[in-house]
Amino acid sequence: MDPDLSAPHSMGTTIIGVTYDGGVVLGADSRTSTGMYVANRASDKITQLTDNVYVCRSGSAADSQILSDYVRYFLNQHTIQLGQPATVKVAANLVRLFSYQNKNMLQTGLIIGGWDKYEGGQIYSVPLGGTVLKQPFTIGGSGSSYLYGFFDQAWKDGMSKDEAEKLVVKAVSLAIARDGASGGVVRTVTINAEGATRNFYSGDSLPLWHEELEPRNSLLDILVSGASPEPMSI
Amino acid sequence: MALRGDWVYENNGGTCVAIAGSDYCVVAADTRLSVGYSIHTRDYSKICNLCDLLFPADKCVLASSGFQGDMKALQKNLAAKHLVSVHLLHIYQHQHNKQMSCPAMARLLSNTLYYKRFFPYYTFNILGGLDNEGKGCVYTYDAVGSYERVGYSCQGTGGALIMPVLDNQLKSPSPLLLPARDAVTPLSESEAVDLVKDVFASATERDIYTVRFPIFFFFQFLAFCESDIFPTQQHAYSSRVLNDPNEYDPLIGFRLSYRIMHK
Amino acid sequence: MEKARVDLPPKGGFSFDLCRRNEMLTKKGLQLPGFRKTGTTIVGLIFEDGVILGADTRATEGPIVADKNCEKIHYMAPNIYCCGAGTAADTEAVTDMVSSQLQLHRYATRRESRVITALTLLKSHLFSYQGHVSAALVLGGVDITGPHLHTVYPHGSTDTLPFATMGSGSLAAMAVFESKYKEGLTREDGIQLVGEAICSGIFNDLGSGSNVDVCVITKGKTDYLRNHQLPNPRTYISSRGYSFDRGHTEVLSTKITPLKLKAEVVENDAMEE
Repeated sequence: MDPDLSAPHSMGTTIIGVTYDGGVVLGADSRTSTGMYVANRASDKITQLTDNVYVCRSGSAADSQILSDYVRYFLNQHTIQLGQPATVKVAANLVRLFSYQNKNMLQTGLIIGGWDKYEGGQIYSVPLGGTVLKQPFTIGGSGSSYLYGFFDQAWKDGMSKDEAEKLVVKAVSLAIARDGASGGVVRTVTINAEGATRNFYSGDSLPLWHEELEPRNSLLDILVSGASPEPMSI
Repeated sequence: MALRGDWVYENNGGTCVAIAGSDYCVVAADTRLSVGYSIHTRDYSKICNLCDLLFPADKCVLASSGFQGDMKALQKNLAAKHLVSVHLLHIYQHQHNKQMSCPAMARLLSNTLYYKRFFPYYTFNILGGLDNEGKGCVYTYDAVGSYERVGYSCQGTGGALIMPVLDNQLKSPSPLLLPARDAVTPLSESEAVDLVKDVFASATERDIYTVRFPIFFFFQFLAFCESDIFPTQQHAYSSRVLNDPNEYDPLIGFRLSYRIMHK
Repeated sequence: MEKARVDLPPKGGFSFDLCRRNEMLTKKGLQLPGFRKTGTTIVGLIFEDGVILGADTRATEGPIVADKNCEKIHYMAPNIYCCGAGTAADTEAVTDMVSSQLQLHRYATRRESRVITALTLLKSHLFSYQGHVSAALVLGGVDITGPHLHTVYPHGSTDTLPFATMGSGSLAAMAVFESKYKEGLTREDGIQLVGEAICSGIFNDLGSGSNVDVCVITKGKTDYLRNHQLPNPRTYISSRGYSFDRGHTEVLSTKITPLKLKAEVVENDAMEE
């Protein structure tokens, strides 16, 4: 096996942003890979930009981290100058600006989601070249190709917060089941007038889809009677 | 030309050393197979008996490093030829009523390697044993069959590290001297074994592909005899394994195999 | 994925034209001078009162071991250390640079350095060189906000983890961590586990070898355990030893140039006051 550890650190990813009645839900898996090797199985791909705006990152880990660091820096400055929270539109526009101006250097696609008092919950998608699209929901990363049909069917206007969050977790778990580059846990961020709430769904709490097996202890543990909860300690 | 993609050859690493004395020969090789930064196995003998199963070739052994696939193919090829004459499909012993001598095997190995001149066996070989007079002999090769009888040699990934030490300790006489002098080293066999152990321990520290515990093969000439098996041969040899061939010295971790030629 | 790279002239930053030229020349068969690219096992973990870093001590140049006992755990600040894998020159240079920036920052602020500061300095430097500075790092330290452990990749991406491995032996070491790491390890168990992970790299990865270095960082105290374990002692020492007779090297000619003693007495005028 050649895991090619020198390959740039990239996030084969599933990221999702969904608007609902009163806010947005962002969702992401937690796998970061270098070539064939899972470099981080519990990474956090939903990054805070301001109190009320978060971003989901996909593509090159280095590029997306630097890009969101810059955007956070400028948004903080903007917030101080303005004396009030930056709007989601401003955040999305900053991301677009950096993505577009440095498109020959960057390999990253982002989903910006947040809430502001002017336009409520909003989702913006900024794919590779520096386009910006305001959408009621959007999906991104390598796992998204498995989800288009599902979202066409399952997304509905005016969902409740719980419905939206359930939809996001279900969608990420579906993508994890089919996409080898996505995996680990599901992280969500829900943003509305009250603020932002983070949620975490561990891998073994996710629903099992077609042909997926129940988790079970290894044969070694079964052979040693009174199997311990630690799978590797015999 | 045959298939030649990038995938054809791999270097599995390893080091072989052989030293010839006036009445003995020591052949040693490490036992690791690796590729890149990974280890395939820590226990693979690079030394081959050539026809182990039917007739242990008691006159020489072949130590090779390089690509294990080619090593194995070459060994099978030689073992077959040792037993079977190429043209007449007769067992060599049947034709000549004796085992192939070390110098004969040396020529056969050269021809076998050169036969694949344009799609070579990716192997680096040393042949060690005793010649027809009972003198230790070492033959060293390149991958396409150029060979030479020498007093000592080493091949493989640690070769470049070990060779200067052997040169320094065993200095063989110039081949240009007249009359020709013996290439064998003046060391006693215990001194030679000591030297081999020492150079392996040193090469291990600087070459990532060489492992600490080599397998030894040890030939010693005791006397010419008239054997029961080959009564017509004036100078026939018989052999027996003195010790368990895989005797393991727990103190040093070397495995020793002895083959002694005796009456 | 679509390729977004468009050949526009870059607006700012560094030019990597020469890197692309070198890549092209290597493809055409030019041999560039090799440099010490260390196959390595480096690890780090968080335990109950701090961070433990570990490293092997082998430096390689191709198949040859260039240094049998090198130091791969670099000093960043009294409370922060950093393990380096990749090109030896790069890891050394990048950690030295950042550690002096941290020192200056401490002089200016009179406060203990924070791990996040070191992390940001490292990642922004590495990102600006677009992966051409090949340093893969495990950064660990304890500051006012508690213990921190990060990995930094050559392209400038970073991860925050409770246990981390890097280098060619990272898979071997991670196998040990994934099976045995627990939250809230004691100091002794932590050192033991780090030693085990490094040994797994030393014995199963040919790019790693020799000894185990460990660095334990706790609040207000750092213990650098150089050569904590020596699992690869010399196996055999010749009983004879080697002696070289006088005259081993033939002297062809001799020339002796004696040094002339030159004493100059300077007469000093008495200093007038």
